[in-house]
Amino acid sequence: VTAGSIVVPYGHVIGNEKWRGSEIAQRLQGKVRLIFEDGLGLVDFHLSNRTCILLISEADLVAGDEFKRRLVRFRNGSSLRGIVIVEKTQISDQYYLGVQKLVVLELGMVLLPVANQGEASQLIIQLVREQSRAGGANPFVHRQRAGPAEPAVLQAVLHIPGVGRTKALLLLQRFGSIRRLCNAPVSELEHVVGQTVAQQIYTF
Amino acid sequence: IPVPGLPSLAGISRVPGDHSPSLCILADSREISSGPQVISCLRAVHGLRVQVCSLGTSDYIVSNRLAVDRVFQSELQSPGNRNKLSQRLQRLQGVFERICVVVETDRVRPGVTSRSSQRTQYYDGVLAALVQAGIRILFSSCQEQTAALLKELALLEHRKDAAIQVPTEPEGHRRDLLSFYLSIPNLSYGAALNLCHSFGSITAVANSSGAALAAGARLSRPQAEQLHRFLCHDFDPQLLPQPLPAKDK
Repeated sequence: VTAGSIVVPYGHVIGNEKWRGSEIAQRLQGKVRLIFEDGLGLVDFHLSNRTCILLISEADLVAGDEFKRRLVRFRNGSSLRGIVIVEKTQISDQYYLGVQKLVVLELGMVLLPVANQGEASQLIIQLVREQSRAGGANPFVHRQRAGPAEPAVLQAVLHIPGVGRTKALLLLQRFGSIRRLCNAPVSELEHVVGQTVAQQIYTF
Repeated sequence: IPVPGLPSLAGISRVPGDHSPSLCILADSREISSGPQVISCLRAVHGLRVQVCSLGTSDYIVSNRLAVDRVFQSELQSPGNRNKLSQRLQRLQGVFERICVVVETDRVRPGVTSRSSQRTQYYDGVLAALVQAGIRILFSSCQEQTAALLKELALLEHRKDAAIQVPTEPEGHRRDLLSFYLSIPNLSYGAALNLCHSFGSITAVANSSGAALAAGARLSRPQAEQLHRFLCHDFDPQLLPQPLPAKDK
């Protein structure tokens, strides 16, 4: 199993020799810089040093379980992130759920369906673009925003029964944090709010 | 490590330390109208316990750490939805360790021939961005399939010991506590339930260390630390935005 350290130059895609001259290779050429290499083993395309693509054709799906063995061998033998692109056509549609269960749920890899090789090449181009973009440009990556916690703390205190906005502000001014508010004895609470509410807060 | 070949729900009770008779999934109340088949299928066909509650963040919560959002293929195809979708998924990432998107094929009304939908560059771009962001993507062709996928996810999470194991319907005083915990930012519904169940009072929560919170609420360490900081946060009325609360863009 070769899935070792392949160095992919920036903006390039390394393709398995067996795809030379295929429709998918022709469509990729011109859009990305494609280099063919022998002996990539199980992998069809390398997008980067860490990410590679395994293609499963309609014929693979119909032919039987050979492609499953290939995927499992890849998963066991490599630390690369594998993206599996599968040809989902009217004929192979019936197998899709099974493949999805294996690839995504059991092997924990990424699975993307396409209708034909043309679509596969389009998808690969977008994957390459996404790889070479700076991380900050991805609209789905969470960025920590450290706004002041004050509004949220106030909102939380408002959920204590008997406490409205005025009392919540008074309580927080006196005790500072939710933790100290929790540990305050009834007598101290009574200094800020009335007896009944103090008892209510204490029991809560 | 997932154990393949544990297909039936009957296999669950064999797992040691399990008390609940069946798997539990939390569903957002909006799903009653937008995905009724999903919910009824989960209950009737797969025998799961589905608790409908107002989740706000995601469509489904499958385990203590996994949230699932159901989106239509057309939503991924139209650039107009980009902002809404990315805001939603970013918020989810602040709350959950793992996120999964189920892309469901749009329903075609009988008699209406489906528009030959050309696969757009934009759609591929969205998929690539999701993959790059580490969000799991599953494809489903109908609500029934979505239900089956949710069950598989719940089973998988159960095997990894992350299933929701606490009662999902708190009563009386616990309900007030739940609403208090839910008001804490970036705390999921599941984590709030766990807090209700594992700690006797808010005081007990407030006096716990980060590690104890992580264990009790089944949170990741960074999330538990965040909760800990929130509870100890020193309130400064000067920092309160006037007027309240200005949403950042």
